[in-house]
Amino acid sequence: MVAILPELISTGFLILVLLVGAFSESNTGAAVGLAAIGTLAVFVSSAVLLATGFSGSFFGGGYVVDGFALYFKLIVAGSAFFAVLAAARWSGQTGDAPEYLTLILSVVLGSTLLVSMRDLFGIFLAIELATIPSYAMVAFDRSRRESAEGGMKYLITGVIASSVLLYGIVLIYGVSGSAMLSDVADTFTGSLTPVAVLGLVLMISGFAFKLSAAPFHFWTPDAYQGAPTSAAAFLSVGPKAATFAVLLRILLEGMPEAAPTWTAVMAFLAIITMFVGNLFALRQRNVRRMLAYSSVAHSGYILAAFAALQGGGVAFAVQAVLIYTAAYAVMNMGAFLVIDLVGEDAKSYNGLVRTNPGVAASMALFMAALVGIPPLSGFFGKLWIIIAGAPTGSVLVYIVVGALVVNTVLSVPYYFGIIRNMIFEEPTTDTVTSKGGAAVRFSVYVLAVLATLFGLLIVPLSALVGASGLA
Amino acid sequence: MITTVTILIPLLGAILMMLLPDEERLLRYAALGVAAVPLLLTVYVYFAFGDDLGVAALSQDVTWIRSLNIGYRVGLNGLGFGMFFLSTFLTVIAILASWDVSRNLKQYFAALFVAEVGMLGVFAAQDLILFYIFFEITLIPMYLLVGVWGDENRRPAAIKFFIYTFLGSTVMLAGFLAFGILADTYSMDALGGGGGLSRTAQVAVAAPILFGLLVKVPAVPLHSWLLDVYVSSPTSTNVLLSGVLPKLGTYGLIAVAIPLLPQGVEPFLPYIAAFGVVNIVYGAFVAFLQPDLKALVAYSSIGTLGFILLGAASGNSVGLNGAVFQQVSHGLYSALLFILVGVIAARTGTRRIEELGGLAARMPWVGGLLALGALAAMGLPGLAVFVSEFMSIMGAYAAFPVQGVLAALGIILSAMYLLYMLGRVIFGPIERPEYDEIVDAGPAEMVSIVPLAVLLVVLGIFPALLISLQRPAVDAVLSVIGGS
Repeated sequence: MVAILPELISTGFLILVLLVGAFSESNTGAAVGLAAIGTLAVFVSSAVLLATGFSGSFFGGGYVVDGFALYFKLIVAGSAFFAVLAAARWSGQTGDAPEYLTLILSVVLGSTLLVSMRDLFGIFLAIELATIPSYAMVAFDRSRRESAEGGMKYLITGVIASSVLLYGIVLIYGVSGSAMLSDVADTFTGSLTPVAVLGLVLMISGFAFKLSAAPFHFWTPDAYQGAPTSAAAFLSVGPKAATFAVLLRILLEGMPEAAPTWTAVMAFLAIITMFVGNLFALRQRNVRRMLAYSSVAHSGYILAAFAALQGGGVAFAVQAVLIYTAAYAVMNMGAFLVIDLVGEDAKSYNGLVRTNPGVAASMALFMAALVGIPPLSGFFGKLWIIIAGAPTGSVLVYIVVGALVVNTVLSVPYYFGIIRNMIFEEPTTDTVTSKGGAAVRFSVYVLAVLATLFGLLIVPLSALVGASGLA
Repeated sequence: MITTVTILIPLLGAILMMLLPDEERLLRYAALGVAAVPLLLTVYVYFAFGDDLGVAALSQDVTWIRSLNIGYRVGLNGLGFGMFFLSTFLTVIAILASWDVSRNLKQYFAALFVAEVGMLGVFAAQDLILFYIFFEITLIPMYLLVGVWGDENRRPAAIKFFIYTFLGSTVMLAGFLAFGILADTYSMDALGGGGGLSRTAQVAVAAPILFGLLVKVPAVPLHSWLLDVYVSSPTSTNVLLSGVLPKLGTYGLIAVAIPLLPQGVEPFLPYIAAFGVVNIVYGAFVAFLQPDLKALVAYSSIGTLGFILLGAASGNSVGLNGAVFQQVSHGLYSALLFILVGVIAARTGTRRIEELGGLAARMPWVGGLLALGALAAMGLPGLAVFVSEFMSIMGAYAAFPVQGVLAALGIILSAMYLLYMLGRVIFGPIERPEYDEIVDAGPAEMVSIVPLAVLLVVLGIFPALLISLQRPAVDAVLSVIGGS
């Protein structure tokens, strides 16, 4: 029971919120309150499990609770909390808050289950549990055509990705005769059979779709642009972190002997993803679309850590993924929430520092953090990746790390374009001074403080990831 | 502890600025009051601990990221103390000289204070990653100071500044990380002498670090970001921009690259000395061609930075002491000249040298102090710059005779353009009838100018005030690199 406490809590609150929607007329306040308490409860229960050092394997070894899984449950629940606060304002206007919040809680349930799964079919089911509600979340804004369009594109590519992933899993199952990662590890040794390689490549491709890694990233800009801001903010952070986590688990627990094969694939994906994300982001005038490409680029940075999962770099590379996802959650969530307050046209940021200094300063911090300027959060993520790359002794990884450094400089113009608009330009009539949203505003400030003081957070965080239990 | 407190006070100052009501007099006095505290603390350190700033006195070592062996390690030694002091001093001067800033004053002071945190941190950091973090903290406030409060060309200048120096420091970080990973620590104390790296590894690590530092200085030909930034900035930003920021690079060279990677830097030393000469000669020639008084001062400032590179590369006691000292004297004289140019431009409405003339008749104080600053820049004996330039050249001559001789010739070139400038601007007939109306600098302006002039003279007559303090630390560097 204790092992699945966070999941039980999210299930319970999911049902409660749904019931509120069904039986209450003016239901927004109650639903938001319940959902916020629910996500907080998931967060706290995971934190307590982590603090008490709870760990173990359950359901015949198919479900594991360890520091690694709990860490990602914290990220999922934490980002969901801010998404709920942001959803409060938006879904209140259309009157179907409970449905939207139910979707968020379902994604939380799927993602928290996902990071604990040790069985390939369990993993697939958890991914679907997290993804299917997210299609609806993207398409939820019925007042905008882009929302339906984005949702449709996301649905179609998502279903294709799922089937590719499932083909890969089935082939791996066929080769190893078991879906348990520990059994898979016994088969993926020595030289791999062609079928095993095919299974591996298909599975990674499926994940690449889900993680919006180039060349499988094309759904991302449309989906994030169309989605309600809270949905884009949450989906780009929480479930994505969980997907990275489970991919890490599959690769390290399920096929450690095949590392030379998959690290090469990861290096390749990382390099294209970084360049595609940043080069396309440079061309965007729409901030939401820019952030979508930016999230592609950041997937590339995290994949760079995956490429470093070899030689002496394994321990640091695992830590890098953990640190980076936390750092990214803080700064990207914050940036998306600012869009919710200000708008998605780059021009609406003109002169924001004069009309709305607090929000402008926060956005400037998020942008600088996304570049990776110290001492803000993004810097520490990149620091860990570079440090992980060094002891691998692989030329390919050095190239990946070099590409990361180049891309960091490459990303300066588009992030700083926003800062320039906010600070150097005169306010225009387009500038939205304030659209209210006290909860969103509060979230933005909290996240800005977290992004700024990440240098202090890193002390407990680095101790935590050092003892996460994976590698 | 006192080091950390001094670094953090400006941060509190920045927060205080944002909280205060938007009232000009209050903001100016409050900013001045906050900025005075680090200055007074530094002066206290000078008198209380000045005799034992050998290696890393007043230090603090707190483990920060255990798994990577990164620590919050700060300390003050004779290499950094001069610049640590100058940063606190010039911040006060910059606040006094901020009369040309009236828009968004609280944000202006807040940005100045954040920049001060970064500057103080760099000169106190005893950990490579911490050094880099403080190095970068200066970036965003400087970007804003230029980009928001500069003249009409400010925006391209600001972004150019940012991208160039960010690129440089990112490359430098790569070098730091490679160094730390190979030596398994980032503590400068533990890394002294190369941290056990082979000569080849040291050279490989030193190359990116030197590149990043030389961009920051900037060494010609890596200087193309600089002119627009200097010319576009408000006067008080110029004070920090020319007085302190280049020294982040030269200090990194003297206190980080040379003692930590002695064998790695060694093959580059002749080239660094040559960069120094190129700065001196190129700066002097190009300054000669500038129609704009501020651009002339900017190139003069780039030129005399060359003496720091020259002295640092010499690898002997005279040269290194000269380089460390020149960091301070360069900051004093360039801040003085930039402020005077600001006063002249505010009075006459122009900075074009051909439109100026005969100002000494109407502005005897400004004219006289401009002459003092220009004479300091050309190395007149009795002023601080003379001592440090002379020492740098002597040191360089012993190590690299050709570079030493060329640098000495550079002083003659600088005398030419500076005397020409003085002749045009303050002497001769009054160029325009409307200049009859202008008045000399008032008390509000003099209060930012006079302290600089006084320190230039005092340090010129009693250089031992600073040199005695920095000598033990320089000796420690020499014992690492095996120089004399």
